[in-house]
Amino acid sequence: MHSLYAFLTGSMVWVSVLLFLGGSVYSLVSRAVMARKMDKMVYSYFSLHYALRSIFHWVIPYAARNWRLHPLFTFVTFTFHICLIWTPLVLFAHVGLFYEAWGFSWWFIPDLAGDVCAGLVLACCLFFLGRRLFLRDVRYLSTASDYVMLALVAAPYLTGMWAHRQWPGHETALLLHVFSGELLLALIPFTKLGHMLFFLFTRGYIGSEFGAVRHARDW
Amino acid sequence: MTDEIGAPRGHIKDVGIETGAARLTPEIIRKTALRMLHEEAGARLRTYLDICVRCGLCSNACHYYNSMGGDPTYSPAGKVKETLSVIMAKNGRVDVEFMKKACEIAFTECNLCRRCAMYCPLGIDTATMMLFVRRLCHKLGMVPQYIQDTAHSHSATMNQMWVKEDEWIDSLQWQENEAREEVPDLRIPLEKEGADVFYSVIGPEPKFRAQLIYQAAVIFHKAGVNWTMPATPGWDNSDMCMYTGDMEMMSRLKKLHFETALRLRAKRIVMGECGHAFRSVYDMGNRALGWRYPPVPVIHAIDFFHEILTQGKIKVAQKYEKPVTIHDPCNIVRGRGLHEKLREAVGMLCETVIEMEPNREHNYCCAAGGGVINCGPPFKMKRVLGARVKGDQLMEVHKKGGVTCIAPCHNCHGGLEDILHHYKIPMDLKFLGDIIYQCMEK
Amino acid sequence: MRGQTFLMRLLAGAALTALIFSASAWSQEDVENVRDSVFTETMRPAAVFPHDAHNAKAGIGDCAVCHHVVENGRPVEGETSEDRECSECHHGGKGWPMDVVRAYHQRCRGCHVERKAGPVTCAGCHPRR
Repeated sequence: MHSLYAFLTGSMVWVSVLLFLGGSVYSLVSRAVMARKMDKMVYSYFSLHYALRSIFHWVIPYAARNWRLHPLFTFVTFTFHICLIWTPLVLFAHVGLFYEAWGFSWWFIPDLAGDVCAGLVLACCLFFLGRRLFLRDVRYLSTASDYVMLALVAAPYLTGMWAHRQWPGHETALLLHVFSGELLLALIPFTKLGHMLFFLFTRGYIGSEFGAVRHARDW
Repeated sequence: MTDEIGAPRGHIKDVGIETGAARLTPEIIRKTALRMLHEEAGARLRTYLDICVRCGLCSNACHYYNSMGGDPTYSPAGKVKETLSVIMAKNGRVDVEFMKKACEIAFTECNLCRRCAMYCPLGIDTATMMLFVRRLCHKLGMVPQYIQDTAHSHSATMNQMWVKEDEWIDSLQWQENEAREEVPDLRIPLEKEGADVFYSVIGPEPKFRAQLIYQAAVIFHKAGVNWTMPATPGWDNSDMCMYTGDMEMMSRLKKLHFETALRLRAKRIVMGECGHAFRSVYDMGNRALGWRYPPVPVIHAIDFFHEILTQGKIKVAQKYEKPVTIHDPCNIVRGRGLHEKLREAVGMLCETVIEMEPNREHNYCCAAGGGVINCGPPFKMKRVLGARVKGDQLMEVHKKGGVTCIAPCHNCHGGLEDILHHYKIPMDLKFLGDIIYQCMEK
Repeated sequence: MRGQTFLMRLLAGAALTALIFSASAWSQEDVENVRDSVFTETMRPAAVFPHDAHNAKAGIGDCAVCHHVVENGRPVEGETSEDRECSECHHGGKGWPMDVVRAYHQRCRGCHVERKAGPVTCAGCHPRR
């Protein structure tokens, strides 16, 4: 227990952060180099103005027509992504740990808000699971890895809440929480979660082509 | 939820696909695919495949998906799953049957209309991936027969319709003679150097629709345009090689087209009312040749008609009275944003416009584009069934009193004609040039 | 704004603590929880800490292990600080309770991890009752 705790909160933190940062830099740079060689038009047509115009319309709920065509999904996906990224960053427990390790801290939310946000993430995951199970097209498109990813994303939030609410088995839950969080972070550059890194570039590029070359909107 | 998934594929026998497939072995497929993955599957393609989270938001963007009762294999991500994903994941280790199916999907179930790229939150361009699959098929020598025949025509004659050089000149002079009965001083200027406008058309115009050249000549003449057409190959701006994945041949065609305009020192290339040809000259061919933008400004007919109408070079004698609707061709709307100019021009020419919903950039494709109609009769029914949503849109317009559908694109015309016929919608089809010619002061 | 409210809470807390301390005799045997006057608004249940039982079990005889006195960054030999509150020194310069929290966490959890004994998870010390 103690060795595992020390390992997970010690070396593993570094391993996961390095995998995340190193992997992110590696995948972004290697794709940029590959694009230089094989997709030269990406550099020719990439336009900051049109890239941002497109991204802007897609990060605002209901700004794109397809968001409006899927009102519930849009509500859920925005809630999900905001809570997913925001909650761990402003959770008192995390900020406190950070302060203990590095001597600086920042604004944090009340624990109750943290529970609500984690609960929302889990509820959204259930919604996504429901889509994968019951929507004909999404079910067909889903592969085993999509379900695994969904579980991986839900895991740190479920175990975090478990540990925090001190439900039975919470000691193990805390260890699982730390581990699943680290795993999730480390996997970002190497899995579908990479859309977090590439979204700006893929959306930005299609936005550039639509805007700068084709003079059309793409939202 | 036990409903069958996956439309029956492979029941349509196409000579091009069958004979191509008969020559293939898994080893040939693997070698070709590996080489292509190595040489041509770049950062965009790999990133698209890596990050697609299979959320299904692209499904409803696709007219095939919407028309085929929500069969998930028709959703854009579904078509990728059925084709490129597997080829990538298995490193080309797929069998002949798989490639036959992939060929059918890439060539006849995707119009490369790019609507899904517009509906994907991550901006994944499925058309690029489908074109990659088509190119693999091309390299494997397995392409639907009809479109391959057109591609052969391109490589043999540098035009789409096996039109010989003298036939081309003959057709122009024939149309000039016809038009001079109506407008005595009209000319179709051939090989004129330094003209403002180099007018290029697609192969089917001299072959089947010569009256369009006649009409354009009358419009240009009345508008006082300083224009010319070439008497040499290079007059055809169309490009089915672009759609078979034969990028080398596409480049040759575009090179000849640009060089012909440059040889005549034309200031601008104005193209007839065709969507795919515009895409090939304005968007894809120039890139393949290393031009960021075309070396000579390329203007689609709609753009040019809008220009001469708004500048008052053409006067409208009598507005078109029958209520019209506007079909937005993908390649000039999502491909060039001409929808507003199209509407302004139609507004100046027609009394009543009844819009289809959705429209402009959000239009539904006619399901003929992207070379699908060029795959010929074997796939006609699939194409028409895949355009049911377009049929619904047109039916809606018809119920509101719409009589004429203006579609400024050749492929759209072909597609819409079949749609109107199949879904029994009593409407007629016109090019914008038809309307201008009919309504202008002559 | 936040600074002000915080200061006011701190003052109120200090006054309250002074009141409690003056009313009850301060004796080590009573210590069952970690307390400090800056903990006016707690986010977790107070950490369980039976002082004598813990030290007996852990074999801590030297008071200065926890109740140290530090001057110029060095522990002062032979001096202890049982008569003072941790937050007198561990206040981050601003009366910032996070600083005391950090001191406790590092002291308690650090030792537990090192010795592989005693609770290390959040709930281990801050159980909900």
